[in-house]
Amino acid sequence: MAQNRWLATGNFFTSYKEEQRIFLTHLDRLVFICFLVVLFVWPLFLEVGNKYMLVIDNILIAMVAILGLNLLTGFAGLISIGHAAFVGVGAYTVASFARILGDSHVLITHAWPLMILMAGGVGAVVGAIVGLPAMRLKHLYLVIATLSFQMIFQWTINFMSFFNQGQTISIGRVFWFTGKIVRKQHYFFWYYVILVIVIILGLAVRNLLRTRYGRCLVAVRDNDRAADAMGMHPGLTKVYAFALSGFFAGVAGALHAYLFRGAGFESFTLHQSISYLAMAIVGGLGTLVGSFLGPTAIIMLDLQVENLSEFFKHQFSAALDLATALRPLTFGLVIVLFLMFEPRGIANWWRIVRSYLKLWPFRY
Amino acid sequence: MKNRQATFISFTLAFMLILVCSSQAMAGETYKIGFSGAMTGPTSDVGVPYSKAIEDYCRYVNDEKMLGDDKLECFIRDDGYETEKTKRNFEEYLDEGIVFYLNYSTGSSLAMGKDFDEEKIPTITASYHAGNLDVSNYAFLPIVSYTSQALALADYLVANHKGDTPQVAMFIHPSAFGRAPVEDLKKAIAGGLKMDLVEVVEHGKDLDNTAMLQRWMNKKVQYVICQTVQPPVATMLKSAQGLGVIAAKYGEPGKLTFLGLHYAGGPDLVALAGSAVEGFYWTTSYTLMTEKGPGRDAQLALAKRYGRDDATANSQNYTNGVQVIQIAVETIIRAKAKGKKITRQTLYEELLAMNGYNAYNSLTTVGPASYSKTDRQGVDMLQLYRAQGGVFRPVGVPFAYTPPK
Repeated sequence: MAQNRWLATGNFFTSYKEEQRIFLTHLDRLVFICFLVVLFVWPLFLEVGNKYMLVIDNILIAMVAILGLNLLTGFAGLISIGHAAFVGVGAYTVASFARILGDSHVLITHAWPLMILMAGGVGAVVGAIVGLPAMRLKHLYLVIATLSFQMIFQWTINFMSFFNQGQTISIGRVFWFTGKIVRKQHYFFWYYVILVIVIILGLAVRNLLRTRYGRCLVAVRDNDRAADAMGMHPGLTKVYAFALSGFFAGVAGALHAYLFRGAGFESFTLHQSISYLAMAIVGGLGTLVGSFLGPTAIIMLDLQVENLSEFFKHQFSAALDLATALRPLTFGLVIVLFLMFEPRGIANWWRIVRSYLKLWPFRY
Repeated sequence: MKNRQATFISFTLAFMLILVCSSQAMAGETYKIGFSGAMTGPTSDVGVPYSKAIEDYCRYVNDEKMLGDDKLECFIRDDGYETEKTKRNFEEYLDEGIVFYLNYSTGSSLAMGKDFDEEKIPTITASYHAGNLDVSNYAFLPIVSYTSQALALADYLVANHKGDTPQVAMFIHPSAFGRAPVEDLKKAIAGGLKMDLVEVVEHGKDLDNTAMLQRWMNKKVQYVICQTVQPPVATMLKSAQGLGVIAAKYGEPGKLTFLGLHYAGGPDLVALAGSAVEGFYWTTSYTLMTEKGPGRDAQLALAKRYGRDDATANSQNYTNGVQVIQIAVETIIRAKAKGKKITRQTLYEELLAMNGYNAYNSLTTVGPASYSKTDRQGVDMLQLYRAQGGVFRPVGVPFAYTPPK
């Protein structure tokens, strides 16, 4: 073990247990706690408009979804292009209750933590079912299986009258101990709720990866035959990865439904699934920190591209097609550039910065 | 000496105070209006001229000092036909302090209805879905709903059909906008309207509709009611022309007669479909740029003044955009004339009072826009048009259509 638990500049582990610590040094823990304090405190001091609170809430929800996708694609190596459909399952779980019981039923408005948990549960069950082909399929074939789930989901929502044919099913305002969360408090309230969920789920993933269940995922990703020889069940591990991913996606979907006060089809399309995949790639597949950096980068980029499109529209009236094309172009370009030049994603930049700071002022 | 100094300082201060107060009074108020619409993505062919119209009329109001010393500030943002973005734009506008909101898509109008109510903000939507009025008391339609338009077309269809029960298909946009009148039409048929709705097709991004048209011919379909935007209708008409199945005259046996609701037809369809548009029946509450009149002259002058091209200047979607912003501005002018402070509530009250002798005529519609607590559909009149020689011509005179309860 390092002599100094505050400023360890190298690895001094003498046991596996030491290596698996969540925080390697006390400084890491302190910085993390300070960062959390900042996240909780800043809205009390900085006044941010509803538009930006909505964007921030959206980023946090995407983080929950990407935590799930990263478990599936990054840690277990199973590519899914139906993740938005899993998120949709969560959103439509809450919406279904609203449709049957009414959007202001006590279960929706008061027992919302339970509803979020339930949405996660339904997402896990659907995830496990969709993951069953993973016992037999690999690589591109599995991608097609997840794509077909996305298509089935879209068709079901779009054509079944129970789901209002994809039109928004509204969800009532929730209650907290202080009473009904009115419009002025809405985005502020959900910021804290989602933040708490992101922290809990982030720590849960970090802990999962320290357990044998987490190591199973990585082993199956690296070589499923070797994992089989070591006594693991690759098929069940894959199904379990899908279920876990479905749970995270379900929770994200429920949060989305509550934040937007409704569930509508267009938030869970194939395009959104690809966006989620891009977030995971850009953030860094197979890294926990990538699950936070990816959504932030892609959503902020999207916002900037939108502003650029607006600029083009106003400057060049004939350039409307360019404005329309700008978003998918930028999106595609970012993914390609990351795959070519930084396949480990922004998380790798984070790793480099950290190791530089750890050794500072020395270079080696 | 000290007295003189004190007098001088007090005079100077008083003068400065008067100067500051008077300059504030002269500066006038700024009223903010927000519009969120699809300038990219699906239906942007409608959204682009629509948004340009709003932008131009806002500039016109300020340039012509229609609000006196007061100014109008219009926020116009693209939402790509996505409800999430529309909501984000709406929140941004609220942060900016808008007093009137103009929305675009059916999906977002339905999704955000409760927000309009909670914010008590008068909202005019580019979507004519009757359901918008059910979800919000603050939502207003510029003209009669899609349901009324579809039922009016269906009534005309049945009344002018010769022979057995007419076999009808619907060609609709795959969204809430497209589906809006379908259920009401089915109810009307169940309630005794003598026609059979053989098939309802939600179109995709097909470049050819031959197979669909052949299927309809096999099913003895004679009439097609379109509830979508112009490009897919143009594609279908071109396919029908290729097959030679477009009826030369209304209801010709063994051929298809095409009819369309507001966003499905008009001069923009002529530009897209060319000669295949011949014989297309279309209903709307707007006058056309092909017909001489004061509305046409005013629109052309407005578009020319702000450097718009001919296609934009003659677009009926430009006409629509001008009409909705005209109504919003009119509420401000009326509230100001009554000495009221311009707030969301006063503008809402002005909208509700816009009826009878106070109904508003924008010059580009076949009747005045009138609103009340029980009627939040603006122009209640419709005009039927038919494409002849590459131009839509009126069929008969404008008529009021009230759907059966």
